[in-house]
Amino acid sequence: MPLQTLKRDTAEALTLEWVLHIRNYKLALDKNLCVGCQICTLACPKEAIKLEKQPKIPGEKAKHAKVDIDLEKCNFCGICDILCPYGAIKVTVNGKHILSVVEKESFPQLIRDIQVDTSKCPVDCVECKEACPLDLIKVTRLTTDGKVVENVDSLTEKERAKLQVKINIEKERCPCCRICEFKCPEGVMHVRKFFHGKIVIYPEKCPEGCTDCLDICPITGALYLSDKSKKVHVNEMFCTYCGACKVVCPVDEALELKRTKISHTSVSSGAWNKALERLASPIEMTKELKAKGSQKAMESVEKRLGWKVS
Amino acid sequence: MAQKENEKQSETEELRIGVFICHCGLNIASVLDIKELVEFSKTLPDVAYVKDNRYTCADPGQEEIRNAIKEYKLNRVIVAACSPRLHEPTFRRTVSEADLNPFLFEMANIREFSSWCHPNTPKEATEKAKDLIKMAVAKARLLRPLETMEVPVTNKALVIGGGIAGMNTALDLAEMGFKVYLLEKDESIGGHMAQLDKTFPTLDCSLCIEGPKMVDVGRHPNIEIIAYADLLSVSGYIGNFKVKIRKNPRYVIAENCTGCSECKEVCPIEYPNEWDMSLGVRQAISIPFDQAVPLVYTINMDYCIECYKCVDACGARQAINFDQQPEEIELEVGAIIVATGYDIYLPYDNPLYGYGKYANVITSLEFERLILAAGPTGGKVVRTSDGQKPHSVAFIQCVGSRDINKYQYCSNFCCMYTLKHVIQLKEKYKEDIEVYVFYMDIRSNFKGYEEFYQRARELGVNFVHGRVSRVFEVPETKNLIVHAEDMALGQPIEVKAEMIVLATAAIPKKGTEETAHILNLTCGADGFFMESHPKLKPIDAPTDGIFLAGACQGPKDIPYCVSQGSGAASRAATVLSKPTWKIEPIIAMVDPDKCRNVKTKCGICAQKCPYGAVKAEEGKPANVITAMCHGCGTCVAECPADAITQMHFTDAQIFAQIRAALETNPEDKILAFLCNWCAYAGADLAGTSRFEYPPTIRPIRVMCSGRVDRDFILEAFRLGAGMVMVGACHLPYDCHYISGNWKMKARMDALAPMLQKLGLSPERFRVEYISAAEGVKFAEVISEMTEQMLALGKDKIKAENEKLRPILENMLKRKKIV
Repeated sequence: MPLQTLKRDTAEALTLEWVLHIRNYKLALDKNLCVGCQICTLACPKEAIKLEKQPKIPGEKAKHAKVDIDLEKCNFCGICDILCPYGAIKVTVNGKHILSVVEKESFPQLIRDIQVDTSKCPVDCVECKEACPLDLIKVTRLTTDGKVVENVDSLTEKERAKLQVKINIEKERCPCCRICEFKCPEGVMHVRKFFHGKIVIYPEKCPEGCTDCLDICPITGALYLSDKSKKVHVNEMFCTYCGACKVVCPVDEALELKRTKISHTSVSSGAWNKALERLASPIEMTKELKAKGSQKAMESVEKRLGWKVS
Repeated sequence: MAQKENEKQSETEELRIGVFICHCGLNIASVLDIKELVEFSKTLPDVAYVKDNRYTCADPGQEEIRNAIKEYKLNRVIVAACSPRLHEPTFRRTVSEADLNPFLFEMANIREFSSWCHPNTPKEATEKAKDLIKMAVAKARLLRPLETMEVPVTNKALVIGGGIAGMNTALDLAEMGFKVYLLEKDESIGGHMAQLDKTFPTLDCSLCIEGPKMVDVGRHPNIEIIAYADLLSVSGYIGNFKVKIRKNPRYVIAENCTGCSECKEVCPIEYPNEWDMSLGVRQAISIPFDQAVPLVYTINMDYCIECYKCVDACGARQAINFDQQPEEIELEVGAIIVATGYDIYLPYDNPLYGYGKYANVITSLEFERLILAAGPTGGKVVRTSDGQKPHSVAFIQCVGSRDINKYQYCSNFCCMYTLKHVIQLKEKYKEDIEVYVFYMDIRSNFKGYEEFYQRARELGVNFVHGRVSRVFEVPETKNLIVHAEDMALGQPIEVKAEMIVLATAAIPKKGTEETAHILNLTCGADGFFMESHPKLKPIDAPTDGIFLAGACQGPKDIPYCVSQGSGAASRAATVLSKPTWKIEPIIAMVDPDKCRNVKTKCGICAQKCPYGAVKAEEGKPANVITAMCHGCGTCVAECPADAITQMHFTDAQIFAQIRAALETNPEDKILAFLCNWCAYAGADLAGTSRFEYPPTIRPIRVMCSGRVDRDFILEAFRLGAGMVMVGACHLPYDCHYISGNWKMKARMDALAPMLQKLGLSPERFRVEYISAAEGVKFAEVISEMTEQMLALGKDKIKAENEKLRPILENMLKRKKIV
């Protein structure tokens, strides 16, 4: 069979495929997980991904922007998959989720630094599970012989003391918002963000009554509506700097979002430098290059951008 | 310069014409009254000497001419004998031996055009011969000496296309000592042959025999491969072409690349490999196949993510340069060989076979990549749908070929490669596989091919004679059901197959039209390049100095391509081996004072020239590039200002012939303009075949029917011609000058209704397409026209002429012809 390039767009998913005689490349975007942030759009080295803003229907909540991927431009490199904070994109080769760019160290992976010390967990506490805005946390209790206990209340005090608490987190989908850490009464969770930065909403520019950013923000509590000013405010503690809010904000410069640092595994890669340049800024990128001391890469950046890295 | 001086001299000197009338044994003398012809010739103006001989072309006859030139100071010579197509070159040599310019010679064809075709009407035949001699004298009085021009030759060649044909041409030329530039569009030379597994009928490995040849080409000191480059433009002419080429960036510095493949190992990006018909993949930095020549890696920027891992891997060799830009280069060559090859038709548009729709339907070239040990599956023939080996395979022949709705021609090599595939399958999987071939005819007509067919039959392949009507897929198993008609059984049959292989048509290479435009070549109805002559010049392109090799001229198998490649090399060497190239002086010249292009935007000549030899820049007079002009005279006839002259066939000369022909009893005569290559040759054939027709015709020879000016027709009718005919090569492709006949047709299609409006009976003006082989047709046309002329009657013709004359006179007066 000749090469087939396929694109399917359903309510649930957007799927791109190359079907070759000996190999199958597939990119699947789970629309239920996508929040319309701009990370993949910015990071794609082939500029194959576009965001389409959704028109606002009066009286309804704002909808997040829709992602569209150009089949002609996509090369199935998987960079979007790696960087998606919400794990909405999966690139597979012959059904296996092994990314060549990672295998061959030409692109880093995000570091989702989540430490869980379950020894401190009270047996009947499910605060973290309930706090997670994306429902990624599962708390189970096990008996010494490894059986799952469904109903803790039915046990005696003695039995309860012997139980072990286990916390499962769907790490691939976790944007590291730290809400679980904040809500945990015992200090069990330690989460570090992978995107660092700054977000500001300027009240003078923010239109009153508009809650578009709040409507679409996937992290409950990262944005909130002030009772006093009737405007949206930021709680930077929980913001993941994904930028979905920035995409939908109807007023230029009302919302400022800057990513300054990205926690990632170590690589030396031009593709990563470019991605970093677009996700953060050229300055952040050169900072990182300097830290790594990659003289050659810096020179090429200087040549390309026409200014001196200082 | 010399020509101008000669011209001046010939204008001032007194005309002294010698007429030599040949008996041709009894061929002429038995019908025509030679004595009468001699006496008549003596009465013609400026005739200083008349002599008849038994055989003018024999040595004594030629000697007589040479002596007479000297003795009687003859400065024009006419031989009334056979066809100029036969002996004009002989007599031109004769007169030049007597220091007379060869272009001051003219022939009157009284054998083919008179004695041989009118044996039973000697009196009328003699009258016709008199007219023929009179016409020759009239033309001869206006002949001017012409010098053959010479242009220097650059002894380097450009071969376009590095497939098996182009490689052979390049190697042969290089071995002869010429410098060769081998231009290749792709990353590597090798062409389709390098994609094949085995070759028929010997089943030797394709790359094993082609690989060493590719290496030879790469290493030859006289060959420079310019790969991954495009042809941008070609200007100039035979011996002196200027070629512009764009080298596309590989982002790898060829000189530094060692071909070690370390960059490929670290590259994380894969993309479909077109070399594998996209069955497999290659890295964003890679070579299309291991034996590539030149062995230089290429980065495909459509897929590269610029991680620069390859830069690190390349290290100190520093072969990778992401800043590389396209580079334009200019070459000077004396000859160009076009060997651009073919493409394979992918039948997406044919719903019959389900290609692109059913997973297990593939083309033969895809099959080739499957069964090749170095291919993406390591030589395992497996299905796309499940990766399993099929237990039954059906081969369908003539997909797209021999199909009046798609490609009418036979693609030449499909029968043989299918035989190869079925033998390979049978020998590899033996009883484990059932093989069917659905065919229209098996064409195995070359050395060892029929035996190969026999071998396939002996291996138990099922050959089904009949067309496939439809292929269906069984959705669960992805198996296929072939519906066909078995002509042997005379009934429809159904065959289950687990895989289908389509032998699809070989089609013109993508970009053939663009290449044709750049090189000024023509394509036939099939879309392949047209050769200059299908029989006698099968390698020459219509443009001098350009030659064709391989499948770009039509589908060909490997041995044929190799021989044609060598043929093209030897044809090119006929140009390259000379320090200078002689150009026939029968060309067009523009009078800059008359050319309208200076004042208004005209450029008609440039548009109509079939060779692109006329350049008309805005505000400047048009200019004919001498070496590119083929001397058809189309531009001369088209020029609205009569500013262009064709040497040796000037307006004045042709008008003189018309007037001489129609001096007496014009209403009884058919004046005919015959193109040299077809209609005139056809008339010659009527003579040599002794087809008799009425002696009413007075023929005027032109090189191409495109030369026939509408003024010629008007003048003929003004003078009262009974009938006028234009004889041309057949449409669409027979014209010796590519498209002169089409230009003539357009002109005459406009003229005929105008003449009819003026009161001319439609049958009195006729355009006929007569090939050199149609002597019968010529005789029939003249007989028919004569009958029509008689039916109209002299009185009616005269009456019409009376009505026409003042109008035509006015028209011609305006152009200062009358």
